[in-house]
Amino acid sequence: MIRYIARRVALAIPVLLGILFITFILNRLIPGDPCRAMLGEKATDEVCDAFFKRYGLDQPPVIQFGYYLGRVVTGDLGDSMRFGRPVTQMLMERLPVTIELALLSLLVATIFGVILGVIAAYWQNSPVDVFTMIFANLGVSIPVFVLGLLSAYLFAVVLKDTPFALPPSGRLTAGVRVQPIAVAWGMPDLGGPARGLLDFLSQMYVINGLLTWNWRLFADAARHLILPVLVLSTIPMSVIARMTRSSLLEVMSLDYMRTARAKGLNESNVVFRHAMRNALLPVVTVVGLSLGGLLSGAVLTETIFGLTGVGRTMFDAISSRDYGVIQGFTLVIAFTYVVVNLLVDISYAILDPRIRLG
Amino acid sequence: MSTSAATAPTAVEPIFNTKPRGLWSTALRRLFHRRSAIVGMIILAALIFVAVFAPVLATHDPTKSLIGVENVQKRQGPCIHLLGCPTDQPQHFFGTDGNVRDLYSRILYGARLSLMVGIVSVGFAILIGSFLGAISAYIGGWTDSIIMGLMDIMLAFPSLILAIAIVTVLGPGLINTLLAIGIVSIPVYARIMRSSVLSIKQQDYVMADRSIGVPSGRILFSNILPNALTPLIVQGTLGIAVAILDAAALSFLGLGAQPPTPEWGSMIGQERNQVFTAPHLIVFPGIALILTVLGFNLLGDGLRDALDVRQRS
Repeated sequence: MIRYIARRVALAIPVLLGILFITFILNRLIPGDPCRAMLGEKATDEVCDAFFKRYGLDQPPVIQFGYYLGRVVTGDLGDSMRFGRPVTQMLMERLPVTIELALLSLLVATIFGVILGVIAAYWQNSPVDVFTMIFANLGVSIPVFVLGLLSAYLFAVVLKDTPFALPPSGRLTAGVRVQPIAVAWGMPDLGGPARGLLDFLSQMYVINGLLTWNWRLFADAARHLILPVLVLSTIPMSVIARMTRSSLLEVMSLDYMRTARAKGLNESNVVFRHAMRNALLPVVTVVGLSLGGLLSGAVLTETIFGLTGVGRTMFDAISSRDYGVIQGFTLVIAFTYVVVNLLVDISYAILDPRIRLG
Repeated sequence: MSTSAATAPTAVEPIFNTKPRGLWSTALRRLFHRRSAIVGMIILAALIFVAVFAPVLATHDPTKSLIGVENVQKRQGPCIHLLGCPTDQPQHFFGTDGNVRDLYSRILYGARLSLMVGIVSVGFAILIGSFLGAISAYIGGWTDSIIMGLMDIMLAFPSLILAIAIVTVLGPGLINTLLAIGIVSIPVYARIMRSSVLSIKQQDYVMADRSIGVPSGRILFSNILPNALTPLIVQGTLGIAVAILDAAALSFLGLGAQPPTPEWGSMIGQERNQVFTAPHLIVFPGIALILTVLGFNLLGDGLRDALDVRQRS
């Protein structure tokens, strides 16, 4: 097992280096002079020479790539031209919002996707199956931004003044206060990495509300998250439902299923213990792969629902041509994607001995 | 002819009266037996019809503002005389947009763009991707490692994010969007082509050709490529759906087609803040997008089932 994990990690390293290389190249290809893009049109030649020296831009590209690697490894992703702040600092503020949104969406998508898939497979060709598959087909065909805008309209305008009304944007209602977790726990002087972690978690309002027993915060944050999560989870939910259905159907037709039934096991035992365990393996992969879609979808979802996460920041950076932010965020998103898929591969090997021994 | 047959009673009747069916006619027959595939084909046929006859079907110029031309407000809801809209008001099937342009005509012309974006970018990706995959598998060794390594790295980016990064470098616009989506889709086709070529290369009939001295270029084109076509067609059809979605998303973000080009994604992006007051500006282009993507998805799924070799045997 350890050897398998080591091999997978070793295989991921060239990919990570490649990602760095591609973002570096894209950075170099951006039209225009980086000095004047950073310092403004009026920067003099002397100032620009100093700028080039400082960032190593007077060196050959290979050395520049070395510098770039060195900076990224030490957590320096450059500065935002628009805000004049380090990209890393902006990421640490905005990442919690996106992580909360993406994880909740993945959770919802997995739970409901698997349930729908099992129902459709078990009653194959029944109206339930047909309905579920129509839903799944529509789900993968609806653009995230169309679904987002229409659901915002439905829940904020059409259903206004009904119990189903939901806020169409923002993270909290005005007046709901957020306290850093450390302060709420009576440790305002806490420092170091523990404080960093707690501050990071504090930004995830649902978790903050849970950890500090602040039910008002929890309920309000959750209410604001319902629409974004619904929108972001639709595509992965449809994909997971389809995958679960076809995988379960394949397993149910195998000989050992007949054996299980022949020896008189009851139906729930047959489906949940014998069929599901094997059918869910491919679903694990799909769940991991969905993350890429979730990260892409976050750009659109956060833009529509006014959540200041990584995606919204990316959109603002696109609109204002803030290249530093675009490159830095692209890098982090790709890194996250690779690491999560690595974890999925490893969990797959834990679940299925054929993978790690084969 | 008939008399000669009658005078020869000893002639052996053929056991099978039907001609053997080829791969494509079997696949086509199976395709027409699937309800969802038929729905997909109907949607796409309608879409192609709309795209081809857009100038005939449109009631207005899609890019021309009607300020001063007609007595109509901006972002006015649909007005259809047959459905009770007063006849003294100008007729607009889907209403007007923020620049007082006829939404119906813009959506019709949008079909041309979406089809073009999907087909051109996927066509580009298939051409480059299958070329890279084929030489990767055929030459092997270092060439294979380098090409496939690069493909793996590209796959490590979520596709829309990489497309965004590429468009920011190339600059916004429809052509650059096409290029970005094409580039991002290359790895999928390279992988498919590589694995097809690798498996077919080992088949006996290819070995036989090689042993009698058929040049390798001819083996590639007459033996290997036709057999690798099936997965490419299936993936290509599904890929068009993804390409249209990604292109619409880029346009929605303001990176793709620029106004006043009637592109569905950019139409929605421009009016997104008006969703609470003029939802028709989101609903109609949205439905057009959903139907188009759905059509390609349904056809792609149908093709996959129809061409699936395992099922056929």
